[in-house]
Amino acid sequence: MAEGEFRLRVRYGKVGRLRWLSHLEIVHALERIIRRAGLPYALTRGFSPHMKVAFGPALPVGTAGENEYLDVWLTRYTGVEDALGVLAACAPADLAPNLARFVGEKEPSLTAAITIARYEVAIEGKESSTENVRTALESVVSAGTFEVEHKGKHKVFDLARSLPEEARVRDREDGSVVDVTVRMGSQGSLRPELLVVRALETASVDATVLHTTRTDTLIETPEGVWVRPV
Amino acid sequence: MTNGGLWPQVERLLASVERPARYIDREWNAVHQPGADYRAALVYPDTYEIGQANQAIAILYATLNGLPAVVAERAYLPWLDMSTAMRDAGVPLFSLESCTALSEFDLIGITVPYELTYSNILEVLDLAGLPIRASERTEAHPLVIGGGPSAFNPEPFAPFFDAVLVGEGEEAVADIVAAHRAAKQSGLDRAATLMALSAVPGVYVPALYRPEYDADGAFIGVSAVPGAPDVVTKRVLADLDAHRPPTAPIVPFMDVVHDRFGVEVLRGCTRGCRFCQAGMVYRPVRERSADPIVRDVLAGLACTGYDEVSLTSLSTTDHSQLEEVLRRLQRRLEGTGVSVSLPSLRVDAFGVEMARLVSAGGKKSGLTLAPEAGTQRMRDVINKNVTEEDLLGSVQRAFEAGWRRVKLYFMIGLPTETDDDVRGIGELVGRVFRVAREATPPAQRGGLRVAVSVSTFVPKAQTPFQWDAQLPLEEVRRRQSVLRESMPRKGVELHWHDSDVSFLEGVMARGGREVADVIEAAWRDGATFDAWTERFNPSRWAAAFEACGIEPASIANRERTPAEPLPWDHISAGVSKRYLLRERERALTGELTPDCSFESCAGCDVCQDLGVDIVLGGVARG
Ligand code: SF4
Repeated sequence: MAEGEFRLRVRYGKVGRLRWLSHLEIVHALERIIRRAGLPYALTRGFSPHMKVAFGPALPVGTAGENEYLDVWLTRYTGVEDALGVLAACAPADLAPNLARFVGEKEPSLTAAITIARYEVAIEGKESSTENVRTALESVVSAGTFEVEHKGKHKVFDLARSLPEEARVRDREDGSVVDVTVRMGSQGSLRPELLVVRALETASVDATVLHTTRTDTLIETPEGVWVRPV
Repeated sequence: MTNGGLWPQVERLLASVERPARYIDREWNAVHQPGADYRAALVYPDTYEIGQANQAIAILYATLNGLPAVVAERAYLPWLDMSTAMRDAGVPLFSLESCTALSEFDLIGITVPYELTYSNILEVLDLAGLPIRASERTEAHPLVIGGGPSAFNPEPFAPFFDAVLVGEGEEAVADIVAAHRAAKQSGLDRAATLMALSAVPGVYVPALYRPEYDADGAFIGVSAVPGAPDVVTKRVLADLDAHRPPTAPIVPFMDVVHDRFGVEVLRGCTRGCRFCQAGMVYRPVRERSADPIVRDVLAGLACTGYDEVSLTSLSTTDHSQLEEVLRRLQRRLEGTGVSVSLPSLRVDAFGVEMARLVSAGGKKSGLTLAPEAGTQRMRDVINKNVTEEDLLGSVQRAFEAGWRRVKLYFMIGLPTETDDDVRGIGELVGRVFRVAREATPPAQRGGLRVAVSVSTFVPKAQTPFQWDAQLPLEEVRRRQSVLRESMPRKGVELHWHDSDVSFLEGVMARGGREVADVIEAAWRDGATFDAWTERFNPSRWAAAFEACGIEPASIANRERTPAEPLPWDHISAGVSKRYLLRERERALTGELTPDCSFESCAGCDVCQDLGVDIVLGGVARG
């Protein structure tokens, strides 16, 4: 942070239809929101100066996020409520910033700090009762490891580490919801809907994933406490 | 079913298609007006990322949404994965804003940007569940109206449209909507509605015109039914400043072409290049004045959040107040990281000076210059008022100022071209390369690039070359090899425009109504997205011509006599045939015609016939 720069951390949601955007599309949209808001954003130095802004862990296309974060550096101090007000007014409702605070330059970046994510995976289909889904999930989780092929890469997740909390299944209208908490690591993080899809397939349960929402992204303190970035 | 009924069905398809952002709406500045009682869908017949930035649609969207009780929504042609999924699931083509089936609208306006999108028009109509031919539509169907650059020879696609607007849409769309509403209110049937529409200036209703042939089957002209105008003359705005362009355009989420805020600074171009259809059909030049341009740029940036603004037109560096506009914008945008871009540059000192002004302090993207031909003789034939000294001087100044890349546009196959002219391109590129090298410090010469893009000349309707033959394919290929041999290899990247594509463009550009059967046959055989290299299939088109008994070479590769009736003679851009013929003669003698915006009137007649004037800096020249 150059002298006279202020690091504003902003929480926003990526919900509704906008969950179909890719991470890069979200990044561009948020930068445009910041410009529309007229915030005094700082520019990076170098060959082609651009807005100084940093984002938390990416969300895949199709996955919604209720508590996502970005840091934007400002050249002038602006009241938090004022900044938030103009940001929200300049954002589509489904991508609206809703909380902010200034953070110190010493604090680690969002991508480094955020290691815990909570998800909801909504399931529908003839056999999507909580009973069926729970049984299906148990058998996959009890295996202890989870293997995926993604873009030609083979990954093995140690579920004891990747799932710091037990996945829970609850009722919803026309189906059920699985609550999954995932620990993100250097080798990437487990995509919860893959776990659920595999469970349904393995147990031959006639049900499909309707949509996935990341409900929280959290920082794990050295004491092992999970806190929100803002 | 109005008000978004289709979204749940559409959303179910998104997980399995590429780039769902094409289909979701909710962009900043999109207009939602569920209550309106007249509904128009504006369609660009290609994917979202190609069509989103189209300024004509942006203007019509803003204009229509500003009319009382009228709503305009957008639609694009879904990519193949999505259209297949939609057909499988029984989901018709829908508008983005309210996710309503296109068939529920009162009017479907389809812009026709380019010859290779003709097959996509049929795909749009079919996916919308409409009969592709206007003659098969009933009272239950929306009116389907076309418009755009291709309207100056609408015959190849005429049977697919109920009407085609010729010329500029700002004022005409309101007239069209008013005429359609009045027709609905008086309970007119489709035929009577079409007749009423044909009374709107600039509106061409194909069903009221018939191509006629003599006993030998030769085309002898198009005749209008009684009551319809014999000639449909283009609409033109006298004053662009009177029509504020949209300053709140839609901001896309996905990466699109021209992903920036565009402000049109002038319309038309009277440099008079003889091959250029846009230069002939968008006359006269009408500049907007500096104040509203600067105001609109700042207002537009503030409400879109773009980090780039483009000053658009056919020839932005011709604007008489450009320097002032750029200096003012630079002052206002300092420290914001927002850049200004100019889409086309003059091949002279002024052009390079302006390029320097827009990239001051920022990043220097490549410089694009269009000498078009390799020899002075050839440049005189096409009336490209540019000398080799201009070009080399510009390149030298640009490379001295820090540019390391230049892109040059050329054409082969222009009328009267010889092998010497073709070789002249390679030689000129060699001299450009040497000048660029000389002007570059030795340590940086490794990064120096000259990119050369060569297309095949396609004669276009409404130009002085509309009578000329396009080169046959074999001859194009021979000249390409002549060019390849004369082109320096080192540091030069050579790029060709596909000659099969140019051939089809040539047939579509000057074909008559009979070509519509070919378009339909090719589309039934699977032709869509022909402008996408990986989708274009020349043998599919050859088979379609064969099946319809049409010899495409007789359209593209045949010279016409001035006396011969042309399929677009009933469409007027306001430029007289007399002028086009005179320009053609001057081409053959290599005589230049100066730019009428700065020198005297060249007598194209558009100002007199349409009652408009050249407007410079917002002031009519009178
Ligand atoms: S009528 Fe004359 S002044 Fe007007 S555009 Fe034509 S040549 Fe130029």
